[in-house]
This record gives sequence, C-alpha cells and structure tokens, in this order.
Amino acid sequence: MKPAPFGYERPRDLQAALAVLAEADASVKIIAGGQSLGPMLNLRLVEPELIVDITGVAELKQVERRDDELVVGACVTHADIEDGRIPDVTRGAMRRVAGNIAYRAVRNRGTIGGSLSHADPAADWISALSALGAKLTLRSLAGSRTVAIEDFIVGALESTLRAGEIVETVHVPAMPPSVHWGYVKSCRKTGEFAHAIGAVMIDPSAATVRVVIGAIDSAPIVMTDADELFGGRITGDYKERFDPRVADAILTKAGVSDAAHRHIHVNALKRAVREAAA
Amino acid sequence: MSMIELTVNGHSVQAVAEPRTSLADFVRDKLDMTGTHLGCEHGVCGACTVLLDGAPARSCITYAVACEGAEVTTIEGLDEDAVTSELRAAFTREHALQCGYCTPGMLVSARDLVLRLPDADERAIRVGLSGNLCRCTGYVGIVRAVQSVIEARRARDIAPEPGGGRKVLGPVGSGRSARNGVKATGIGRGKTSTEALSRVNAIADFTPAVVLTQQFSITHSPAQVFAMFGDIAAVAACLPGASLTAPPSPERVEGAIRVKLGPIAATFSGLARVERNAADMSGRIVGIGNDQRSRSSTQGEIRYRLVPIEQGAATRVDLSIGYTLTGMLAQVGRPGLVRDLAARLIAEFAGNLDRRLSGTSPAAATPGKLNAMSLVSGLLRVRVARWFARFSSDKDGSA
Repeated sequence: MKPAPFGYERPRDLQAALAVLAEADASVKIIAGGQSLGPMLNLRLVEPELIVDITGVAELKQVERRDDELVVGACVTHADIEDGRIPDVTRGAMRRVAGNIAYRAVRNRGTIGGSLSHADPAADWISALSALGAKLTLRSLAGSRTVAIEDFIVGALESTLRAGEIVETVHVPAMPPSVHWGYVKSCRKTGEFAHAIGAVMIDPSAATVRVVIGAIDSAPIVMTDADELFGGRITGDYKERFDPRVADAILTKAGVSDAAHRHIHVNALKRAVREAAA
Repeated sequence: MSMIELTVNGHSVQAVAEPRTSLADFVRDKLDMTGTHLGCEHGVCGACTVLLDGAPARSCITYAVACEGAEVTTIEGLDEDAVTSELRAAFTREHALQCGYCTPGMLVSARDLVLRLPDADERAIRVGLSGNLCRCTGYVGIVRAVQSVIEARRARDIAPEPGGGRKVLGPVGSGRSARNGVKATGIGRGKTSTEALSRVNAIADFTPAVVLTQQFSITHSPAQVFAMFGDIAAVAACLPGASLTAPPSPERVEGAIRVKLGPIAATFSGLARVERNAADMSGRIVGIGNDQRSRSSTQGEIRYRLVPIEQGAATRVDLSIGYTLTGMLAQVGRPGLVRDLAARLIAEFAGNLDRRLSGTSPAAATPGKLNAMSLVSGLLRVRVARWFARFSSDKDGSA
C-alpha cells in the first residue's frame, strides 16, 4: 500500500509546468489534489517515474467571470465550489454537485481539473459538466485548444489529453433562469463512486435539452438532441412525457447489457427529470 | 529525497522524506506521532484524517512533499482545542468508540461538522461522517455525540462557520509553499524550536556506523584555513565530485556528490548542516544524502579541527569522518574500499584546498573518477602516514 518511488517536481507557474512536461522523457503524471491518483499510486496501479505537482501554480487556482461564462482554474477544489468561494453561474447546480462528491476531506483537496483529467466515468464532473455544456481549455507548450467535455472523454480513464498537455480551465456557461436542472446519482454507500448518474438540463421555453447518462463503464452518453426521450418534443410537461423505454433502448444500444444496471440508470435519469421539473 | 518543511501542531518541523511518503507516514514515522491511524491507505476509511490548513484531509493519499509550508494538525494537536474537548466528553458519554481505531479521524471530521453544520440534523451528520468508517459502534453513539455538541454550541449562540473559515482557492495544504517543493533552501533558524528539532529526523545527530580519521596539512595558517572552510562554495569546489544545487547559507548547504567505486557509481544528493566554532578552530558538517538510482541513503558527519604546526605558519587538519549507509549500496559497501575512497577524496581535496589558498585554481581534477585500478594501486602504494608526510612537504599534492 505504499507507492513505488517517483520523482517529484512542483513548478511555480504554468509555463514551468508545461516545460517540465514537455521535457519529461520518462513516464510522467500530473498530480493536483491527488484524490484519484493517490489511491492508484498507493495501490501501485500507476508507477510513474515523475510526478508533476501543479497545485503550486497560482494561475490554476483562479476563477474569472467572462461574459456569459465562468472560467474556473483546474486546481479549484470541489469544496471551493461547494462552499461558494467561487461565483456560481449555474444557479446552485454546481454547488450541489460539488457538495456530494465523495467526502469532505476528499473535497478539500480534490480538484475539478484533476477529476476531469482522470476521466473516471463514475466521477461527477464528467457527467455534470457535460450536461451543463461546459468546455475545457487544454494547454501545452505548443499552444492551447478548446474542447467540449463530451469530446474530451473518450472512454474509461481515457481522454483526448495529449502528452505534455494540461487541463488549464473549465468554461461553464451561465445558466439562464428559464433552464431546469436535475442531477441524480445512485450510490449504495454515501460518497462512493456512482453506479449510475442521470443529468438533465432542460429549457422548456426554448425547447432545448441536454441529457447525460453517466457512470456507465465508458464515456457518458450525452444527448443534445434528446427529444425522443420526451415523446418527440420538449414542452412544459416534459416530466410526464419522459419515456423510460426510450432511455432503456439507448442504454442497450450503448452496450449496457445487464437489465438490472439499465434499470438503475433509467431510474437515476427519471429522478433527475423529476428533480428538474420540481 | 526532499527536505520537507511544514508546521505540525504549531511547531515548525523539517524532515527529509521521499516524495512518495504520505503525510500520514511522515507524521507517524518521522515525527513519532502515531495518533494518526492508517486503515485502507486509499482514501476510503477516514482513519488518517488530519487537518491541513485547518480543513480535514486524507493524510494517506496526500504526500508530505505536496504539503510544503502547510499547517498540519493531528489528533495530538487537538488536546487543547475547545471543540475537540467537547467532542471527547461527548464521545465518552455516548459510548462513541470501542476499539478506538477510527476515533482520531472521526474526531477530526466531527470537529469540522460541528464548526460547519448550521444545526444538529441527523442526516447531515451521518452524510458528513460517511467518509469515516467505524466497525464497532454502529455509529449511533457517534452521531449522538456530534449532535449533542452542535446543539450545545448553537444553544450558546456559537454560529456555524460555512466553509470552515477557508478563504483561499485550491487544495488545502497547497497554498503556502513559497518555493519549489523539491528545492529546499535555508532553514529559518529562529523558526525551528528545539523541541521540534529534537523530535524530527531533520539532519539530526546520529551515531555513525563507520568512523574514519584522517589528517593532512596545509602550508597556510589556521586562520586562513578556517576562513576558507567558512566559504562553502569554495570548499565544495575543492571536493572532487561535489556540486552545490542551491546557493549555500553559512549554516546550511544543499548539494550532491558523485562517487564512483569501480562499477559502482552513485550520486548522493542531500543537505548538510554546518557548524563552526571559531574559538577552537573546529567545525562539524552533518549531512544526509540519497542516491536515487540505487535507492541508497547515507548520513554523514565530518568533524574537523585545525591545529597550528610549524609555529603557526601551517595547519594540520584533523578530520573525523563518520557515515552510515543504508539501502542497496550498503549491501555492496566494503568499509575497506570506502575508507580508501575517502582517503583519496581527501587527498585531492587537500591539494585543491592548498592550491586555492595559494591563489591558483583547483586542478582540473577528474571529479569522482576514482576507478578501481587506481584505487587498488592506491591501496598498495599509499599509507596514511606517508601521504601525511607528503602533504607537509609537497604542497603540490599531486598524489
């Protein structure tokens, strides 16, 4: 239960961090709060030669409101969001998601960027931020690029992050007052990784919807054209129009073959729809 | 190895630890504070929960090296804490523990809930304690104890503190380091309480496993030599294979020394504490070093005393070199060979020192390249008495 030896660097700024990553010819892992990587290191599932600690990088611990979005530095913690130490543009949605991640002691160190980079399909931010329509800025010495969260995660623990690249910021669009939000996860024990996640961001007045079925064994199912889940159109009575059979078919198509698992996923989504309508 | 400097229970402490050392192992093994318990070691059971910058954190999946500059509070540091005192009484009253293994982490998490929760809501307390596993009590007594303390404090008009009073962003424990965690610089001398130092493995005094004594002489006065010994950069420049990795302060040096013993090559990087006594022209250097490749560590101590000879025109340097080697290299270490290696290093060092004091630059020495052949021939050829004699007569020192 002790990690294999690793080298450790704690760059002072983003440029230095990127330089270290670019130079590293050995196996290198970025660490932020270490709440996902730490257990993997301790279990020796991961044995990097070098660990680059980015929690000393002040640029990554900043938050900025830019026009219609909130730009959140990668090293902002779940507790920072839960406690409202950063502005909230999602009318409480992000605060509630953050407050239910793992345990307080974990939230005090675990970061939003770290969780996304880790790309565990059962983690909250991947599903929640996909539903919120958030984007990521990824930076390397070569420059930066922006990707939508749903394009960032490609599978279990797999993202499009390239060698030498780092999640710099998360861009969360402001949630208009007309939007309804629901987020439900199913855990058998409080604080454990979810067995199923359902997330819904629905705007009946604009007839738009984003639906996420998360915590399946691969990248979450993100539906921006989910009218079929609600009988073909998005209206104010979407709660009544929600069709669990369509959700079940989507899960089957996505390869969730166990009927019991599909049942849990469908119900998590159903409850998320109900929460949005409440 | 990194020198890690942080505050534990109000005391500034420094200790050397590998980057992979968890904060829990750091406080338990380096500081002998075993109140912090380790259960699952992957962040689930909560036994290891400590306060990092005042907020609960898992010390088993937080590496000590990442906590440079942080304020750590373990259960030992909560003896006088008002909330914890109330909780202890309540835990006793409500039978909130049996074996006690989870209790240190439980108290740390419970204290955080008492501070943050607006009221004694049972569900919120249970959710809040869900990251701390107890296999004895069934939690009923624990929840009651926490409820009673919250109720009592709110009844006394003590308001909850949302966020536990934290104001800055980022992982707890990450914000205080003013420097690169791997690169340790000078110890704030005043900051180190004697109590803390005596408890810490920080470049501590030790009993060496091997002690070598050597002598050499230099054709300069003791005062000149002593002044020279105070210039750490200059001394390092004279020592074959040595390099400084950070600007030295008069009492602390960080550097590396590359040594090669036949096929065995090692670069020990580490730190040393420097003590000097001008009254009797003596000094001491106590260091710790680590060779990454062979995963070997060494503790070393060099004591020197400068004795005037030739009516004060020259100096005899009495050296006592003690060291302890652990790790892979210790298994292959043969004291006889190491003794000779040290002797040859000193010979070269003395020659360089002499040249430097005479105003010429150190010879373009081959740093640390003391290969087995020359070593063996050295063993055969050189005797301590002989090279002592030679140094007194041959300041060129081209041995």
